[in-house]
Amino acid sequence: MSDVTTATAHAPGHSVEESKFWIYVQIAMLLAVITGAEIVAIGLPFIKWSLVTALVILSTVKFMFVIFFFMHLRWDKVFCTILFFIGMVLAGGTMWALLQLFGSEASKPLSAASTTDAPSAFVTELS
Amino acid sequence: MSSHAAAATIDHHHDPTTSTGIPNKKLLMWAFLASDCMFFGTLISTHLIYRLHPPAGNPSPRDVFDVPLTSFSTFILLMSSLMMALAVNAIQKGNLKSMRFSLLTTAFFGAIFLGCQVFEFNNFVFEKHMTITGSILGTTFFTLTGTHGTHVAIGVLWLCLMYVRSFKSAEPQPGDHPWLGNILHAVALIAMILLGMKLVLSFVWGFQEHGFTGGTFGAVAGAQWAVIAGLLVCFGALRWFAGQSGPVQFDQHNAIDVETMGLYWHFVDIVWIVIFTAVYLLEYL
Repeated sequence: MSDVTTATAHAPGHSVEESKFWIYVQIAMLLAVITGAEIVAIGLPFIKWSLVTALVILSTVKFMFVIFFFMHLRWDKVFCTILFFIGMVLAGGTMWALLQLFGSEASKPLSAASTTDAPSAFVTELS
Repeated sequence: MSSHAAAATIDHHHDPTTSTGIPNKKLLMWAFLASDCMFFGTLISTHLIYRLHPPAGNPSPRDVFDVPLTSFSTFILLMSSLMMALAVNAIQKGNLKSMRFSLLTTAFFGAIFLGCQVFEFNNFVFEKHMTITGSILGTTFFTLTGTHGTHVAIGVLWLCLMYVRSFKSAEPQPGDHPWLGNILHAVALIAMILLGMKLVLSFVWGFQEHGFTGGTFGAVAGAQWAVIAGLLVCFGALRWFAGQSGPVQFDQHNAIDVETMGLYWHFVDIVWIVIFTAVYLLEYL
């Protein structure tokens, strides 16, 4: 029996390693398609909140594909995932708190222009 | 034992010698990336908050941004992530040649992204008159995207150094100065990337100003003859360094180094995924 055959018999994860090439290529194509869909979506005549929701979901899908496949979280120990998500949760919580604080009417600076309707709606949608 | 067999016996995802079972380098990188999440989170929040209360005279992002260009650079960065993943996959299987090709391609795509950013910033400052001190939008936008661009530049530098490291000789001759060769190799590669960016941007600006004609091509090529000569010299040097055959100190046991660098590169990609949606696309709704 050759060395390669012996090694394959002793390593059940070997076929996974071999097939990763095509997994990566397929995921990259999927990410490119999702990016294209996002660009097309901003020109569609739908209600604003539905488009915002769609964009956030599509970005989240791209984000998850990259961290779990390209960054190997799917195959690594779960502690790596926990560690990274601690940072993510803290960052997300900080963003949410800041947007809530500065999104309120009372925090509007006196020097701000009176025409703040469009940007206000912009951030309201986000928060 | 063949390299395939050797690669199959190494578990690249677990390290029994550490208390966590995770390679220390990988654990350190994940901890750093978690902290960098908070860094970019605050920068993105700041940009969005100042979009909420723009002072009078603040430029409208719709009048400034160029979505086709940004979409192109987003696509390029996604493809660079693919090549980075393939580089890690290749070295885990002991395929050094494929890893080198993938690393160079990743650095090449990273340089294209940086070139797009230079073009975009130049356009914003000189055409749209949006500077970092001229408006709140300019301050938050340039700080956020500039910080991200700096991360990409550090990533490209790291990729170049890893590529050069993969040539480190396993059997240095007495009296040799391998560090000198490594430094010259790295300088040639980085100089080639910088000169390449300068040349391509010169052509783009030339075509933009005078139209896409043979005359413009000749004029720009003539004006940039020193850059072209430098590029040829660097290319020759890289070919010469790559032709130095012999056993090297780089194999599948170094996969963790490439993987750690890959984690950093993919993180730069996911940050851009968020910036692309939150900063650019949402402005057009």
